[in-house]
Amino acid sequence: MLRGFKALDRVLRGEATRLPALRDGNIDIPAGLLVVVLVVLGMVAGACTGVFAVITRYHDDPANALMGWEQLLASTAKVPMLFCFTLVVTFPSLYVFNALVGSRLNMRAMLRLVVAALCVMMAVLASLGPIVAFFAVSTTSYPFIKLLNVVAYAVAGTLGLSFLLQTLHRLSRAHSREPIEAEVEPADAAAATTPTPPPYPTPGALERMRAQKLDPRVRTIFRIWVVVFGLVGAQMSWILRPFIGDPNKPFTFLRNRESQFFQAVIEAIHKLLW
Amino acid sequence: MTALITQADALLRPTSRLEFRARTLLATIILFGLFYGAMMGLFFGPGQLPRVLQSLYSGAKVPMLLILTFLLALPSFYVLNMLMGLAPDFPQVIRALLATQAGLTVVLASLAPFTLLFYASTTNYDAAILFNALMFGAASLSGQRLLKRFYAPLIARDRRHLKMVRVWIILYAFIGIQMGWVLRPFIGDPAQKTHFFREGAWGNAYIEVWDKFIDASHGGRRR
Repeated sequence: MLRGFKALDRVLRGEATRLPALRDGNIDIPAGLLVVVLVVLGMVAGACTGVFAVITRYHDDPANALMGWEQLLASTAKVPMLFCFTLVVTFPSLYVFNALVGSRLNMRAMLRLVVAALCVMMAVLASLGPIVAFFAVSTTSYPFIKLLNVVAYAVAGTLGLSFLLQTLHRLSRAHSREPIEAEVEPADAAAATTPTPPPYPTPGALERMRAQKLDPRVRTIFRIWVVVFGLVGAQMSWILRPFIGDPNKPFTFLRNRESQFFQAVIEAIHKLLW
Repeated sequence: MTALITQADALLRPTSRLEFRARTLLATIILFGLFYGAMMGLFFGPGQLPRVLQSLYSGAKVPMLLILTFLLALPSFYVLNMLMGLAPDFPQVIRALLATQAGLTVVLASLAPFTLLFYASTTNYDAAILFNALMFGAASLSGQRLLKRFYAPLIARDRRHLKMVRVWIILYAFIGIQMGWVLRPFIGDPAQKTHFFREGAWGNAYIEVWDKFIDASHGGRRR
């Protein structure tokens, strides 16, 4: 467990995805341990999302509080499920498209990459958890909490995907024939001639590579991933509803199959504002 | 005690290169925040005496407001810093953020005599609220300036800190506004009984403001 969190730490600090570490075209992280970490972080995030149900149910009628706790437990289980199912559903097609586009990533490297990106997402989401829980404790407005959660997930998703993009980009650099020294040398030369500030002491996981246009292949792969990830993730979250729990409805583990994610977001905005 | 006051003085001076310790800064936040809060809670209506209990409650609430907001915002800020590759600087970042809040409480405490003077000249509860809002506004303006100053060495070392400090301001303000709303009343309506929390008045600051706005735009009529 502790080793898993150490691995997460390396991923978040960007140590696992620096150019030298990627030299042989693989990411050196224990994917299995990271999946465990993913589940734990997902449970934290889910529990924070579920706080709203407990509070509102208790607020309306303390006798109903049990229903809220049920919702909290269900959310705790569902958020890791959401991410693991999304991974399972998207992975085969991602792998196939990846091969079609001509990327040299093998299956293990791909799996590690996707797990690392999901870990970044979950870490951000879990760290936003206290804020979500705090607003849940003090707010009775269901649409507000819904939107706050959507914002939290959107922030987490954006950061996770930009981690994915930059790592893909680095991987393609590490794969290509050009020596990695090429990235170091100009910096040294520049430092010798002009007093420009030295390169960052610690390049972050989201750091863009300098003076390099994105490899078009990487861009294509990335676009496909964003579309597939986003659509499947959003719809998966819709299938696994409710995460927050409408205070006016009794607790159910899953709701009926109906309507769609984006429609519901627009409705929530409408209800909150007008 | 005197050590703390010397520290507080050093905190405000732009030239001081003192390395503050997190514990001292926390003590400063609690002490000076408590002082302003206690003064703020002394408001009393016509024919009343200053309410000691309210004063105690308010004194506890000002440091609570700052520290709880800080603690809630900290995890996500840490993860963001890590992702940006700024994790090695984080101990210094925490000290800068704590120093900012400590400086803010020192400024607030220095404004307390104004508040007392104002209380001595009015019995209007709404006016008291407005005046305190003004004081908090002034303190948070100087807080922003302090934040810029404490962050300057970090930004000089790495430009990415500039982005992070903006993220921090947004996070802190977003949580702080709601925290302030939840911890009401800070002054306490003299016409009501003294409570630590206002009864049945939790709710969401943003929604309240938006509802007020909607009501106003509908000609002041409740829908």
